[in-house]
Amino acid sequence: MTKQLRQSTIRWPGVGAFFIIIALLVGFSFLLLDTIIKWTLESSLGTLNRAEVNIESVAHGWVPLSLTVSGVQVTDPAQPENNRVVVNELRGDLDLGELLVGRVIFDQLNVTGIRVNQPRRSPGEVYTQLTKDEVSQAASERWASLKMELPSMDDVMAQVDLQTDIVIERAKTNLDEQKQKLKQTRDALPSSEQLAEYETKVKELLDGDIESATELAARREQLEALKARFRADRDSVKAFKTQVETAKEIVQSDISALRQAPEEDLQKIKSFMSFDATGLENITALIFGEQIRSWSKYVLLAYEQLAPMLQRADDNTEQGPLRGEGVWFTFMEANAPPEFLVRNAVTEFAFGETILDVNWQNITHQHTQLGQPTTFQARADNSAIWDSFNLTGEMALKDNGFDARQQWQLKGAKLNDIGLSDRAEFMATMAATLLDSEGSVAVRNGLLDGDASVRLAELKINASGDSRWAELLSQALGKLNRLDIRTEIGGELTAPTLSLNSDLDRQLGDALRSTATDAAQTKLATLQQDLTAQVNAVIADQSPELAGLVDLEGLASSKDAKLEDLLKSQLEDKLKDKLKDRLLKKIGGG
Amino acid sequence: MLTLLAKLLKALNSETGAWALAFAFVLGMMIGFTPFWRVHNVLILLFALIFRVNLSAFIVSFLVCTGIAYLLDPVFHSVGSAWLSSESWRGVWEGMYSSPWWRITQFHHSITLGSLVISLALAPFVAVGSYFIVVNYRLRIQKWFLKLKIVQALRANKFWAIYSDLRG
Repeated sequence: MTKQLRQSTIRWPGVGAFFIIIALLVGFSFLLLDTIIKWTLESSLGTLNRAEVNIESVAHGWVPLSLTVSGVQVTDPAQPENNRVVVNELRGDLDLGELLVGRVIFDQLNVTGIRVNQPRRSPGEVYTQLTKDEVSQAASERWASLKMELPSMDDVMAQVDLQTDIVIERAKTNLDEQKQKLKQTRDALPSSEQLAEYETKVKELLDGDIESATELAARREQLEALKARFRADRDSVKAFKTQVETAKEIVQSDISALRQAPEEDLQKIKSFMSFDATGLENITALIFGEQIRSWSKYVLLAYEQLAPMLQRADDNTEQGPLRGEGVWFTFMEANAPPEFLVRNAVTEFAFGETILDVNWQNITHQHTQLGQPTTFQARADNSAIWDSFNLTGEMALKDNGFDARQQWQLKGAKLNDIGLSDRAEFMATMAATLLDSEGSVAVRNGLLDGDASVRLAELKINASGDSRWAELLSQALGKLNRLDIRTEIGGELTAPTLSLNSDLDRQLGDALRSTATDAAQTKLATLQQDLTAQVNAVIADQSPELAGLVDLEGLASSKDAKLEDLLKSQLEDKLKDKLKDRLLKKIGGG
Repeated sequence: MLTLLAKLLKALNSETGAWALAFAFVLGMMIGFTPFWRVHNVLILLFALIFRVNLSAFIVSFLVCTGIAYLLDPVFHSVGSAWLSSESWRGVWEGMYSSPWWRITQFHHSITLGSLVISLALAPFVAVGSYFIVVNYRLRIQKWFLKLKIVQALRANKFWAIYSDLRG
């Protein structure tokens, strides 16, 4: 206790120790500053990218304050075995005055050797994304939809419900049915003898002498009774005529159906032998999709790479549970200058040996504070691999979301040995072509909307495969000289979707369908002969029946006419005249 | 590490002030709970070195609390985020944010603010609790503790040798 009282509250050696510790920390940090910056950049860029980011080295300079970052590899979260972007070197000059007040302002940033979609030595770590299997599976499913075999004749026959047999059966049944009905109505017809008897009776009634008015009345009564029977018989004749007409129509219709049935069945078989149309619709996307998707990474680079990073940089709600991460909140006033700004930047994209410089202005995630959008332009004419290229665009992250637009024109790009498919079942390479493309794409509320045309001229495609369909596809592709592909760009900013269509779908579809039909031509001819023979046999049976029906129709008409004549018979005037003569004779004689 | 523990035990068993130990635990906790590379930790370090705070207890507390902080980070993040998101405090945060000096403290980082606030809230309790434990340890537990068979066994090993050396 006594010892404690003698001690001062201040531990003076501690002051020295403090400064030594601080000096050591500062010295340590100073010596390892580049490594610390490298780790920090890898960590923060990795978080923004949602997948591993590797940096080869970082170097800083004090006068002027600058930073040089070399060998940047940004893993593609969708394809961890690939880098979405590789940057050879990034060098920026920092504004020291702004840095002291907490703002990172680059007056000039130069980025060289940018390449997209490059393979990695080993797959990068993905923090949140589709697994490789899922991506691979999706690709396999797309090819599986096309990888179909030519259907055999037997397969088709098993699936096709042939109509010829049914039509033959129906014709036979109809004929029997009509024959039965005709027989019933024919039995009710007055016979020829009966008609002759009617004529005799009518003649007797009209031609005999009449003695009195009473006899006249009796004959009239008999004639009326006969006419009633004529009418009944005429109704039977009419019913028969109607039945004959119906039967004739049905038989004619059946014969017509019989004649058409074999052809219709053959057409149906041919249509069954063609490929599934939905599979064919994707041929353009299947063959050229991966390559165009790869090219689109250049076109959409500004959106796909930079925009999501800027958005996430501005996102205060993102959770960061790891030690030391957390969330950095921003409390900027509306008129405050942005905290991060690259006033001017030149990004140098490498396409093989050709270099394309893209000039940027005002790269930031705080466009509201800046009051201007980020703009970019690139123009390069008469380069080694194209005749002309022009790209302009702008983008801004505003309160209501990401807003951007860009347009481009590319003419005369010379492409050689571009791999289209390296699958074992179907290998395809675009040996040479001249590519023109133009289009525009905009972003509203994080959604892409745009279209582009890709015109391939002087096209030469080498393709091969073991299966029959691959062989057919290869032949059809080999004949292509020119192809126009229309591309629609849509989907979310972070996951753009491309839909491709071209005349290729129709060309290949027709070729494949025709080949499939040709392969079965012999069997089809045999089938056609069989069906025609069956039908002809039935038609041979039906034709006399049809002729008989025509005869019956004539018979019915003649009976109808005869009954009509009988019904027209008039008793009154003739008999009245006879009776009048007799009475006059009696009066004159008396 | 064994040396460090031995030094702590020596301090507990010596006549080092109970408050010196208690404050050491508090300062160690604060520097352990909050992210290391922060300006306020420089001040805490300065405080621990200048004033007669027991450095062994400070370092042990710092190491233990750094470990605990990994478990408590989600809590720190929640507290910090809630406060920084509070509309009623927005004016204050904006004022501080526009000042380079406040920006250096990195107060606008959710885990930094959350852990510092929780550390400060716990500080009085940890200080009083530590003081109570140290005093009672010396009064009651020390003799009983040393009689434990396990402690007797430990006294025969390397740790006890270090401890004895320190006692001189």
